[in-house]
Amino acid sequence: MKSFRRLVYPYMVWAGIFIVIPMLLIVLYAFTREGNSTMTLNFTLDNFIRFFQDEIFIQVLIRSLILAVITTVICILIGYPCAYFIATLKPNSQGVMVLMITLPMWINMLVRTYAWRGILLETGLPEEIKVYIGMVYNFLPFMILQIYTSLSKMDKSLLIAAQDLGCDSRQVFTKVILPLSIPGVISGITLVFLPAVSSFFIPKLLGGGSYVLIGNLIENYFVTTGDWNFGSAISLIMTVVILISMYFTRKFDYDKEAR
Amino acid sequence: MKRITSLLLALLILAGCGQSSTQSEALETYGCDVLNVYNWGEYIGSNVISNFEQEYGVRVNYSLFASNEEMYTKLLGGSQYDVLIPSDYMIEKLLDEDMLQPLDKSMITNIDNLYEGVLNKSYDPDNTYSIPYFWGNVGIVYDTTLVDSADVESQGWEVLRNEKYKDMIYMYDSERDSFMIALKALGYSMNTENEDELNEAYEWLSELHNTMNPAYVTDEAIDGLIYGEKAMGVMYSGDAAYILSENENMAYFVPEQGTNIWNDAMVIPSNAACPKLANEFINFILEYEQSYDNSSYVGYSSSNAEVLEEMSSEGGDYYGNNAYFPDLSNPLNEEFHNNESVRKIISELWVKVKNQ
Repeated sequence: MKSFRRLVYPYMVWAGIFIVIPMLLIVLYAFTREGNSTMTLNFTLDNFIRFFQDEIFIQVLIRSLILAVITTVICILIGYPCAYFIATLKPNSQGVMVLMITLPMWINMLVRTYAWRGILLETGLPEEIKVYIGMVYNFLPFMILQIYTSLSKMDKSLLIAAQDLGCDSRQVFTKVILPLSIPGVISGITLVFLPAVSSFFIPKLLGGGSYVLIGNLIENYFVTTGDWNFGSAISLIMTVVILISMYFTRKFDYDKEAR
Repeated sequence: MKRITSLLLALLILAGCGQSSTQSEALETYGCDVLNVYNWGEYIGSNVISNFEQEYGVRVNYSLFASNEEMYTKLLGGSQYDVLIPSDYMIEKLLDEDMLQPLDKSMITNIDNLYEGVLNKSYDPDNTYSIPYFWGNVGIVYDTTLVDSADVESQGWEVLRNEKYKDMIYMYDSERDSFMIALKALGYSMNTENEDELNEAYEWLSELHNTMNPAYVTDEAIDGLIYGEKAMGVMYSGDAAYILSENENMAYFVPEQGTNIWNDAMVIPSNAACPKLANEFINFILEYEQSYDNSSYVGYSSSNAEVLEEMSSEGGDYYGNNAYFPDLSNPLNEEFHNNESVRKIISELWVKVKNQ
């Protein structure tokens, strides 16, 4: 076993170059501002103060979180029954259904969102609804697949045991199936919530630009304004917010298991 | 049809040459056989690149950007290109920062083909560093069946705040263009550094945001207007020309209060690997056939005088299309200048306008 451990080195190098160093650069940029010609690094907290002093930025952050939470909830509400249904099918049909769900993901997300733009263009729906349709459409497969995996891995004899011990079908679901599938739901939440909170092109394409989210804000400061320091600070704030929300989701998961 | 004829013509010319020069010849003449061109998306004729490759026996690496700032960021990151096609104020910025090299005018013999209206602009007074590619202005495209022409013509930019047209307008999602509109509507210079004037413009845009419920978009507005999602939008003249040619109910109006006269021009960055071939490419673009292909395909106003004339006269692709050949006579028209501090201010204000 031990000799296989060396196989992890390529990944460590990869992660170091493409994940750790860029993260450190973001932190560095976030805590500095452009200096003058003799001194190019100026450590400062100004970028963060600027963010939290302006209610507009806070509003954008809250709006992004709300959008991500609602998207995630809708994905669970639609995805869970769907995954449950697939898991009850015969193995062959399950394969076909999973294929049907993954099939659209073979096409680039951006292209699919452009297609939605065309479809929604003439419907006259409010911009907000269009954004939700686009978000749920793009992220739903992640939720379904995660829940489906945990449901199909479930030991079927547990269900029979529960019935033997006198559970009716509703109790089997609430006492056995649901608790056992929670890990799938949690990883589904992770996979949907994270990209949803930072997504910027779905709201941009479908929301008519008046729907500014934290991702758009970051893009704006990097690409248009060229203020990398403030853009990095916003990215860092978003990272922290995501870490905190992930911590609570995981905690909820462990609490469940502990019971 | 025109496009096919020009393609055939180009092929004939090529065939007439008998043989195109080979890769090794290019290496000998220019010291390289790959040219890196960095241009806007959807901004070149369909055959221009392949024509150049065949005629000069070289390979062109053609990359795209969506905004001047994106291009600038990429350039700062150390990417190497031979030809860039940024806008006026960005060229001014690149010049300020010493990032461009002078063109070799002895190689650019087709310079006489240029329309005089695009030459010697303030960003590069004697065209030492840049050769115009496309140009135009900014105006309002509107659906004549839904919007009263008299309103647009009498109110100019103010029509964007006419509550009769609430929920029906596209604003251009760029701080620069939006502040240009507000400043022009208020009768100020779009290059103002006066903070009171900038704040007034901010108020103007805020009121528009609060009363009109506009959609802030960029290129999405093109299809949106053609298919009737909204009835009116702020539009670059070249895109307007395309919209007008696709939907006959559409009209283009440039307010009397003045507008932005912009130029996108070809420049060679100082770190270019292949400047000699870059000069050759710039000269090639100025040829009638290539300029024609460009303008006919993209719909933006050509910098080539002959093409401009032909396209807009009877029988041309854009005959009767007033967006194709903008009028430069209004003294209130201006060009953008590069000003970092103003840019920071309006960029911050623009985020605020959209998030009230």
